[in-house]
Amino acid sequence: MYPADCKYAKNHEFVKPLGDGTALVGISQYAQEALGDVVFVQLPEVGASFAAGDEFGTVESVKTVSECYMPTAGEVLEVNSELEAHPEFVNEDPYTKGWMVKIKLTGALNPELLDAAAYEAHVASEAH
Amino acid sequence: MSSAKKQTPLFDWHKAHGANIVEFGDYMMPIWYASARNEHLAVVSQAGLFDTSHMATLRVFGKDAYELLQWCFTRNLDSCVGKDNAPLTEGKCVYGAILNEQGHAIDDCLVYKIQDGEYMVEVNASQGGPVAKHLAEQAKGRDVRVVDLTDQIGKIDIQGPASVKIMAKLLKNPDQVFDKLPYFSAKGHFDPASPLAAQVQLLDGTPMLLSRSGYTGEVGFELFVERVHTVKLWEALMAAGQEQGLTPCGLAARDSLRTGAVLPLSHQDIGPWIFTRHPWPFALPLAAGSEGFTKDFLGRAALERATDAPYTLTFVGHDLRKVDGHEAKVFHNGQEIGTILTCATDMAIGRHEGRIYSIASPDKPEGLVIKGLCCGFMKVKAKLEPGTTVELRDAKRAIPVVIETDVRPDRTARKALKSFF
Repeated sequence: MYPADCKYAKNHEFVKPLGDGTALVGISQYAQEALGDVVFVQLPEVGASFAAGDEFGTVESVKTVSECYMPTAGEVLEVNSELEAHPEFVNEDPYTKGWMVKIKLTGALNPELLDAAAYEAHVASEAH
Repeated sequence: MSSAKKQTPLFDWHKAHGANIVEFGDYMMPIWYASARNEHLAVVSQAGLFDTSHMATLRVFGKDAYELLQWCFTRNLDSCVGKDNAPLTEGKCVYGAILNEQGHAIDDCLVYKIQDGEYMVEVNASQGGPVAKHLAEQAKGRDVRVVDLTDQIGKIDIQGPASVKIMAKLLKNPDQVFDKLPYFSAKGHFDPASPLAAQVQLLDGTPMLLSRSGYTGEVGFELFVERVHTVKLWEALMAAGQEQGLTPCGLAARDSLRTGAVLPLSHQDIGPWIFTRHPWPFALPLAAGSEGFTKDFLGRAALERATDAPYTLTFVGHDLRKVDGHEAKVFHNGQEIGTILTCATDMAIGRHEGRIYSIASPDKPEGLVIKGLCCGFMKVKAKLEPGTTVELRDAKRAIPVVIETDVRPDRTARKALKSFF
């Protein structure tokens, strides 16, 4: 559910560092389940820079339209253009097929991010 | 948090089959199982199964039952059935609303005539108590009783073009049941003691009231059984429908389907405001081709007095993006003119050269990719003609939508039952 090679924001985005100063960003398994069918994903322009906590896109599900916040600072190198035709990839596999943006990390990872175990505990506490 | 909420007899089934559960009215109900989108599409192209046991069922009976309903219900029971405006006779049902003296909608409902002096009134979840109280207050010395049967009944809706075939597999005598069963008619009874109970039975003899109706715009049935039979009926339907792709559906699909069928959600699209100037004039007892009413009823005077009532209009967008229906405002030529009542996405429709097509449209252009369209209802100050473009704005986005008279085309609700075999 929550891969160990990702770090997680409390509002349910993940960042997956790729080891070369870049990382993939998307929403967690918990977030996609809570949203239900993702039907539309709005992503930023390549080259846009974001601080940790900045809104970088929106995810529209059958239920609602939700903002996505950048879990850590970075510059957008690439967006997952597959999501335009296949927004359901976010539901099917949020960490691989359903990633949203690839960023060049600006500085160190946001120290407030949670590891998989801490995030799982956070999700469990939110559910109650 | 949810300890005071009620459960239908199918709650454990929903949980065991992966349903996402939400609070709805007084109940804990499935909002979707794996995918609301697939559930919506299944009802348009195959069939879907809905647990509607949370809806409330009232029995209204006694010598003056007709008189009470003629006073409290917005349809004229003497002239409300079919194109010829025939009277509501045994085995027919009719959709309308119950208004208060201010002409505000307390709820919408289906009224069934079971026999002379005996009616069944199907209202929304949590409305059994308030509507029963209202009817009892209005009875004022009339010889009529109102009893809330909700907790004794299980109700399941099967909807979609495959529902006719699936239902036929489970009935003892499907040919007789489906014979002369037009839209908005019913046969049988859930009470084994009723003389009508023999009309519709499952293969094992379980009696039910089978109503050819529903709230999706697609062909199908609303099934009423004694509460104890609810899970058995649901499981029998799921097994019989496996071949036809019968899909259990939650409230999200129900909401998007009814919006696409231009049907209101009570307490959201109709409610504590004047029940006029809306897309549902058929729910009022209007004389053909006139604005005049054909009977006296509670709320009539207020409707006649209301000269500055807002207009409720249907809209459809250009893609599937929605706005937040709770906060969005409607703008026309830069002026704010009203609010949104419902904003949903009908996943089964798309636009092509100015026309809306459904995945079920027989004439849809080859290669047309249908992804869904945002649609719903707005309450505005001005009457806008169909075809007018307005803008819906919330904090996140502004989307253009078009005022329309219909949403999802080629719905199946009114098609002859024999065309589904």
